[in-house]
Amino acid sequence: MTTKTSLLKVILLGDGGVGKSSIMNRYVTNKFDAHLFHTIGVEFLNKDLEVDGHQVTLQIWDTAGQERFRSLRTPFYRGSDCCLLTFSVDDNQSFLNLGNWKKEFIYYADVKEPEKFPFVVLGNKVDVTERQVSTEEAQQWCQENGDYPYYETSAKDATNVAVAFEEAVRRVLAMDERTDHLIPTDTVKLHRKPRSAATCCS
Amino acid sequence: MAELLSPDLRGCTYFFLYDGSKVKEEGDATREGICYFYPEETPMDKQELLCGQLAGVARCVSELSSSSVRVLRLRRNKYAIRRKDDFLWALGSSVDVPTISVCELLDQLIDLFCFYNGSVRQSYQRNSREVLAMRWAQYLSHLQAGSSELHHIFSCLKTIDATNVDPLLLLKAALILQACQRCPLVLVGCILFRGRVVSTQMSPNLTMKVMVHESETYNKAHKPNGPSTSSSSGGTVSSITVFLTMSELQYLQSTPVDKGFKFHSTPHKDTIPKKTRLSRTLSDTPSTDSEPSDAGSTHSSQKVSFSPCLSASDNVFSPDPSENTTDLLHPPMQSQCPLSNGKSSHDAEEDESFYHSFHTNGGGMSQIGDSSGLEENSHLNGACGTVFDFRAAECGNEESHDHKVGEDSRRGSGGSAHGCSGATNSHNESPLVPMTLYLHRVKGLVLVLLVEPHFLSDTASMEEVYHSSLAALNGLEAHLRTIIPGPPGVQVPYVFAHFDCTQSTMTSNLSGRPGATHERPFVRATSLLHSHFCNTETLQEAIIRSAGAAVYGTRSVAQETYFLQHGGSLRNSGIPNHQDSAFTLPTKARHRLLKHGVNLL
Repeated sequence: MTTKTSLLKVILLGDGGVGKSSIMNRYVTNKFDAHLFHTIGVEFLNKDLEVDGHQVTLQIWDTAGQERFRSLRTPFYRGSDCCLLTFSVDDNQSFLNLGNWKKEFIYYADVKEPEKFPFVVLGNKVDVTERQVSTEEAQQWCQENGDYPYYETSAKDATNVAVAFEEAVRRVLAMDERTDHLIPTDTVKLHRKPRSAATCCS
Repeated sequence: MAELLSPDLRGCTYFFLYDGSKVKEEGDATREGICYFYPEETPMDKQELLCGQLAGVARCVSELSSSSVRVLRLRRNKYAIRRKDDFLWALGSSVDVPTISVCELLDQLIDLFCFYNGSVRQSYQRNSREVLAMRWAQYLSHLQAGSSELHHIFSCLKTIDATNVDPLLLLKAALILQACQRCPLVLVGCILFRGRVVSTQMSPNLTMKVMVHESETYNKAHKPNGPSTSSSSGGTVSSITVFLTMSELQYLQSTPVDKGFKFHSTPHKDTIPKKTRLSRTLSDTPSTDSEPSDAGSTHSSQKVSFSPCLSASDNVFSPDPSENTTDLLHPPMQSQCPLSNGKSSHDAEEDESFYHSFHTNGGGMSQIGDSSGLEENSHLNGACGTVFDFRAAECGNEESHDHKVGEDSRRGSGGSAHGCSGATNSHNESPLVPMTLYLHRVKGLVLVLLVEPHFLSDTASMEEVYHSSLAALNGLEAHLRTIIPGPPGVQVPYVFAHFDCTQSTMTSNLSGRPGATHERPFVRATSLLHSHFCNTETLQEAIIRSAGAAVYGTRSVAQETYFLQHGGSLRNSGIPNHQDSAFTLPTKARHRLLKHGVNLL
């Protein structure tokens, strides 16, 4: 069981500026850069970790939050094993938009059973003193929307970032155990987006 | 048959490097002087015959005319000739190939060799002929490989087909490069995907050079220069030593974009929080000074400065009235200066003369006058050498100028540890400054950075560059890989080719496939028109026709455009009359090409 390494694709979604890229960078390289520019399209990093005896390679996909990048990011939702819905606790609008992000994800990722899909909710920037979203509000939203785990994180001072990703992995593994298989990295995902017109090279 | 009718316009039929210093005495065999000969299987007596004849004629002509020879014609071939010290290069091609293209190919070839190996003389002192023969062969095959004939005619860069690429991805690539420049040891960079340029901060000339190594590692052919693989960042990062000419280095130092960017991004990341970020938002980017390389962008001032090389090299043969009929006596007087400009064109001093020529179209003679003042006898020395000496004098001693140059190139940050002693001690050779090429590969995508040599020993800098770009490179690769080639089907009733002289890129709706024989007439017509444009500085528009077709060509200093309308009426014969469909071509071209982003208005 532990000899196989699973590749898990998790995707960070949320409004522009809530700190998705910073969370990814904090987790993978343990660095924080206050001057990152807007992500254009998608980016990703891999990280190997062990959770409860399972070796996994986490492929973390960071996406552009701005509306104008929608067409660039949505093709990459497919095949995700877990979705991290992210908002910033000092930005109420980003919290209100969580529902839209969830909808967008379910639509473009073509999730078959949305009610069972593992979402994790992250309230980032807890280092900021002026909060606009209380912990209770956020927890309530999570409860009402499918009992999602909720983590308050800070990419800036590394609060809860690793914990949140590990929880994401646990959720995915729990799902997989229910469906009783692990996807080894060397298999081909048949449900990935077909390459259309692949034979036509002109 | 098709081959007989229309010989391949890309090819080099012969190429050799001949070292005259090895053949001094009456008894010395010519073969002693032949450093490399292509095709390698050519019988030795034929090699000797060709080398002997061309070297002899070149020398004779240049002594008679007290200037160097640029082109010789022998039977069905024309040979671009370059001489430097005792070395003589000749590259032969079919007479159908535009002279300018042959000359540019040879210049590129020599430039490539020097870029990866340093000075030719020292390379041959350090390495065996066999080793270097492999490299010549490799560069030659790289320059001839892959791309279409039109690419060879214009000597332009291979770029990704931007028609199906979201411009935001080009911006993303440009931003990755800028982010890398936050490290002061990084000079410039470029991003390639499957051997094609996605975004570059380098001049076309330099971009062309760095692409060789990339495609070579991509094709996994061999590693001639023994690139060292960095273990710290995994097997995807490698580096190689390269040599820049002084003018290239000065150009890198003088690029306003570069400096401007660093000015407000490097200094204190912690104390200037706002500006950097703002300048990188999408809406702000186009107006800032910090967008050097978006392939789709219009000409920034930075790009304008590339242009002199091209427009100047266009002049190479302009004094010669009849390129096709003159065999040996190619224009002696000016022939060298355009080379210096054409190839290593980025001296600061050149800008003025260039601006002059840029704005006065058709001022061919004045341009030549400008540039001829700069040169003496080495196409890499000249103006840059002067500046180099000036620096030396300024510094007070021989050794410190290297130091100073390096320091300048990093805009005064940190101490410069590298020296150029190996490459610069010979006064006969143009000074070449060792630099390092850093390559980070993500599948088909490669980030190529020109960095200070001690970047490799600066672990912190390397890690910073690596980590700051990795996620974005992963993402860009994923984006580019999943781009679906758009609907090819829309059959348009015309063919066009648009060459951007500034960026050295080409746009065309030709398939470019080798088998597409119906495209050959257009390619040949384009080749001929391009030749004419190069020869005749003041020529701006031309139509070339046969009984069945007419190709319209138009050019400015910044671009050349060629257009062929299919299915015209058959009035294209005999003496042109006012109903001749050829005369409607300019209007048609203007309208049709607008949707391809080509503005001829």
